[in-house]
Amino acid sequence: MAETTSTAESNDVALRASIDRSLRHPVMFFFTSGAVWLALAIVLGLVASAKKHSPEFLSCFSFLDAGRVDGAHMSALIYGWGAQAAFGIIIWLMARLSRKECTNAGTILAVGHLWNLFVFIGLVCILTGNGSGIAYMEFPGFIWPLLILCYLAITIWSLVQFQVRDAGHVYVSQWYLLAGLLWFPWIAVTAFLFVFVFDGHPVMASAIAAWFKSALFLLFFLPTALASAYYLAPKVTGRPVYSYNLALFGFWALAFLGPWAGMQKLFGAPIPQFLPYAGAAAMVLILIPAISVGINILQTVYGHGEIVAESPSLRFTSSGVVLFVAYGVLSFVLHTVPAMKMTQFSYSGYGLDILGLYGVFSLCAFGAIYFIVPRITRREWLSRRFISWHFFLSLYGVASIVICAVVGGVTQGQGIEDVAQPFATMAERASQYGWGVTLAWAFLLFANLFFCLHLLLMWARLGRRSSHPTLLKGHHAESPHGPEGEIDNIGSASA
Amino acid sequence: MTFKAFIFGLLASFGFPWLVAVVLPFSKMRSLEPIKYEEGAAVSGVFIPKRDGRVTEGSIIYGQEGCYQCHTQLIRPTYAGNDVFRDEWAGLRKTADNADTRRETLAMDFEGEKVAHLGQSRVGPDLANLGRRLEQNLKGSELTPEDWVLQHLYNPRGVRNYRVGSQDLPERSSCPSKTSLFELVALNGAGGGFLAVDTEEGKGVRPKDRARQLASYLISLKKDTLGQPLPEILNHNPQATVVE
Repeated sequence: MAETTSTAESNDVALRASIDRSLRHPVMFFFTSGAVWLALAIVLGLVASAKKHSPEFLSCFSFLDAGRVDGAHMSALIYGWGAQAAFGIIIWLMARLSRKECTNAGTILAVGHLWNLFVFIGLVCILTGNGSGIAYMEFPGFIWPLLILCYLAITIWSLVQFQVRDAGHVYVSQWYLLAGLLWFPWIAVTAFLFVFVFDGHPVMASAIAAWFKSALFLLFFLPTALASAYYLAPKVTGRPVYSYNLALFGFWALAFLGPWAGMQKLFGAPIPQFLPYAGAAAMVLILIPAISVGINILQTVYGHGEIVAESPSLRFTSSGVVLFVAYGVLSFVLHTVPAMKMTQFSYSGYGLDILGLYGVFSLCAFGAIYFIVPRITRREWLSRRFISWHFFLSLYGVASIVICAVVGGVTQGQGIEDVAQPFATMAERASQYGWGVTLAWAFLLFANLFFCLHLLLMWARLGRRSSHPTLLKGHHAESPHGPEGEIDNIGSASA
Repeated sequence: MTFKAFIFGLLASFGFPWLVAVVLPFSKMRSLEPIKYEEGAAVSGVFIPKRDGRVTEGSIIYGQEGCYQCHTQLIRPTYAGNDVFRDEWAGLRKTADNADTRRETLAMDFEGEKVAHLGQSRVGPDLANLGRRLEQNLKGSELTPEDWVLQHLYNPRGVRNYRVGSQDLPERSSCPSKTSLFELVALNGAGGGFLAVDTEEGKGVRPKDRARQLASYLISLKKDTLGQPLPEILNHNPQATVVE
């Protein structure tokens, strides 16, 4: 994390330090509570996956009922972990890029607690069989307006900061942040009104819920992840973004395609026929922004292989960007019409969702967290081994889930389409891949234990006091505290 | 790019698809034109698929229990999949005893439900015609469709008396048992309504109201042309494969 502070003026350093200080409580709160939710979401994912192939697994707990657990798993992953990690990144990044201190940290922190409370209530409702029962929007109806209000109270200050910033350059990251900030309430309010409030056709309600899930990823989580990537790649390597025009193109490509996607899940359902096709076309074309962002970020870090390998933030971020390209390719393949026939009602959609939420968003978010936390706590990460384990297990786990889910999904889809084959034969064959997914969640659980523990130690202010960032270098440092001599460098933690 | 142009771009790129893919289809689907039977058809008036049972409450429970995670309720048109050709998913095949009743799922099929449980994944079979399937397969058995559904909800791997040779062999089911929908009560003076399953001595398994509502909903799933013929304009039935 070679931040080029040496050339910056000292008041610049002081400003950055004061911005970090002003935000440390809410940002740390979002990251740590997010990490705990992530651990829970992974446990629920493991249970949900296990129940698909071994239905008697944990059947003594009726609240861990298959079906209910699936909804709880995705909700915890999206609203417990994803949203909170995104909040942390958004408020920190926007403050830094607008060069404004946060004056509402108390409000944000308080509302952050409310957010956690509402997510908790929502999950309890799902697990006790009192959810809404709507795919992708499993929280009961009354939770949604509360979450939307919390969202507004948390992020409105970032818009204000942007508005009152000293005139100057608007960074690529800020485009993505602003776009995500504006789109999210629009998407969420639309979904809430059209699904829960207005009295519409039941098929359209499920179509809009499917659109909501897709828009939430493509137009909120993805922009936040890309904002972080467009910030970290130039920052850590000390080079400007490779191509401004390519960045512009990638951004608008996503903005124009994202809102169309989602209803491909209803291919063949009785809704206006162009909707699933428009959704599928958008998902096929997502490859375009994926490639533009991929080229742009990877060209920015190109030739700095050593920094990518050593810096935890850049290593996670670059992997997230590579997986975004993989997401584009997989989305392209899965949403062509012959593939959709087969994979529409199979595990492969889940594989793509996890690739997006964990592979792209979460890896970028981990990258951001490894960068932000030492700055706001003024302590360095304790152990490069924890970071390494987190990285490799995450990558291995997410790759296994996606491969098993997609290959299993294709097997499943083929079996369903081949009407000469009994359904039970297909189900049995596909369930073998379910075992793979369960094991992969176990890997992710281990990965996240390292991450969560490490983050909680940092939160408890037990990080290393040092001016040397924790890099993933292979040599020396027997002790988890890094090489001797760096531990007691009190008072000069990196800005 | 000025800031104004940027914000306008954000609003336009999102607003147009929002209008075209969400708002307009929503208002269109809200007031679907009723479809009338043609002149001279056996039935007259407007086509409304008939359903009996506790559809509205049952549908909510179906969602809350997460059944849609593993079961679909959608017989796709042939351009989107082979669902109509799979055994008894889309209705009954033509045999010596009955006509071909298969059809695709229509928007009107979800009348009375808050949300259409089209489903996520086919870990289990499609349920669009579960009620019809049970009715047909339990003919001549001492089990009623409701008994079968309740027993299946309680213990999916324990139900017998299903037609031999069917593709839905219950012994191989990977469906979870929904025991939370049932209560274990002492047999003494507890009235009737017990499930015919083995349990502790002196006790019986009785479905809660939730289980009965869900069962009633599941039995109501008969989205074929047997109870309600289709108007000619909706009839896309492909040439039936005759099973003698």
